[in-house]
Amino acid sequence: MIQFDKVHLRFDSGISLRNLNISIAKKEFVYLFGESGCGKSSILKMIYLELVPNAGVVTVLDQVTSYAKRKDIAKIRQRIGMAFQDSKLLGDRDIYSNIALPLELQGMKALEVRQKVVARSDELGLRSRLSHYPHELSAGEQQRVSLARAMVISPDILLADEPTAHLDDNTAADVLEWLWKINAQGTTIILATHNKLLTKSDPSRTLTIVAGEVVEDRVK
Amino acid sequence: MKLSYIIREGVIGIQRARMPFMISVFSVMIAILSVGIGIFAVDNGLQYIGDLQATYDLEVFLENEVSQSDTRELSKIIAEYPGILRMDYLSKADAAALYNTEFGEDVLSLLDDNPLPSSFRITFEENYRTAPYIQSFIHATEVVSGVDEVMFKKDLFDRVQGIMSFIYMMATIVLFMVILSTVFLTANNLRLMILARYEFIETVRLLGASDFMVKAPFFLEGGILGFIGSLMSVVIIASLEKLLEYYGIIDLPVRILNHPEVILGLLLFGVSLASLGVLKAVRRMLRFVS
Repeated sequence: MIQFDKVHLRFDSGISLRNLNISIAKKEFVYLFGESGCGKSSILKMIYLELVPNAGVVTVLDQVTSYAKRKDIAKIRQRIGMAFQDSKLLGDRDIYSNIALPLELQGMKALEVRQKVVARSDELGLRSRLSHYPHELSAGEQQRVSLARAMVISPDILLADEPTAHLDDNTAADVLEWLWKINAQGTTIILATHNKLLTKSDPSRTLTIVAGEVVEDRVK
Repeated sequence: MKLSYIIREGVIGIQRARMPFMISVFSVMIAILSVGIGIFAVDNGLQYIGDLQATYDLEVFLENEVSQSDTRELSKIIAEYPGILRMDYLSKADAAALYNTEFGEDVLSLLDDNPLPSSFRITFEENYRTAPYIQSFIHATEVVSGVDEVMFKKDLFDRVQGIMSFIYMMATIVLFMVILSTVFLTANNLRLMILARYEFIETVRLLGASDFMVKAPFFLEGGILGFIGSLMSVVIIASLEKLLEYYGIIDLPVRILNHPEVILGLLLFGVSLASLGVLKAVRRMLRFVS
């Protein structure tokens, strides 16, 4: 489903990813673990085609990302849900409209959009917040909205960048449980985190990244 | 449903960014107002100069003893000549009456006989109103039986035609420059409006929107703001006309309200200017969004 072959990525700032060889199969739950700045977000960005490697090949959903045209990029992104680290919620519209946006972009009917948005917001405890605006929500709530928006399209792959960073332990546990449920329904999940406790308590596959290199690929 | 998204997002976009939208509407209004007033001023100017020219282009005088059949024959020849807009026959009695009106003297009381000749006053269509064409008409009619003389005020005609051509040329250059600068200013304003929406463009693209789905609501928004801006400018020009008429400052020969094709042209220009300007700005921004 996702394949990194000898991937190198260089930035002007000097930070880089070196010789990445990663293979992620369908329905896998994978942690990308590492300190801040080690390159976790860059790996996620390469998966949803915001970045392309300087060398090597990244293949996502059977598409070599370096050769993807803008049209292909849009199509692939419609099959990937992305919960951004900075939420990327649109401040000019309420939470309902934020979550509904990917469905509307795909041309779904209003009634179907409403059903899906309400269902996802119920699962993440956001029902009472649907008429609020992003600035009225806490950072943790914004992250959950970002997750709801990513999952509302029922994607093949869910990418989550530090989704529990601003959550208290109980809410973080609830979100993780929800992600497991999603994964059990067939969605591949890749979760970037710097929280060691999270990976320790979870039997999922963990890729440990240090200074742009995968130093450990572990399944408990 | 995608269409409803485009319409809704286009309309909502206006509500969400009212100030940049209003600034852009104002910018389009100024652009169309400049163009509209330019056209309005040039049209009226040219019309005024045209009116200064004689009400007829030339006069064909007939011989004193011309027969009715020769007059009819000449009338037929003139009427069939291409490019004749109007032909008025002045009999000897008409000429005497005109003399009386213009000079306040009854020519028949001064002289026993009416010495004034009958004539045809001829006006050419706009496209045929050139000195060489009129000269060729004179050569053709001079030789017709019964024609005494053909009077054509060539110097005055040439001078007025020269002034009109000069004004037309200068107005075209100035209008072109005005259009160019207003298009540039409007495009710049629209770019700033779109720049304020970078977050939206980046986010929807990351959420899987195709370039078309990103551009379409903005294109619609541009069309709406262009329509409002140009409609406002048309209303202002029409109001100016009414004011000038009401206060009797100047009697305008050309009025925009009498020319729906000009109104439609200005509206179309405003809508195209704004929607294409917005489209260009979004396309440019999309280069920075993967």
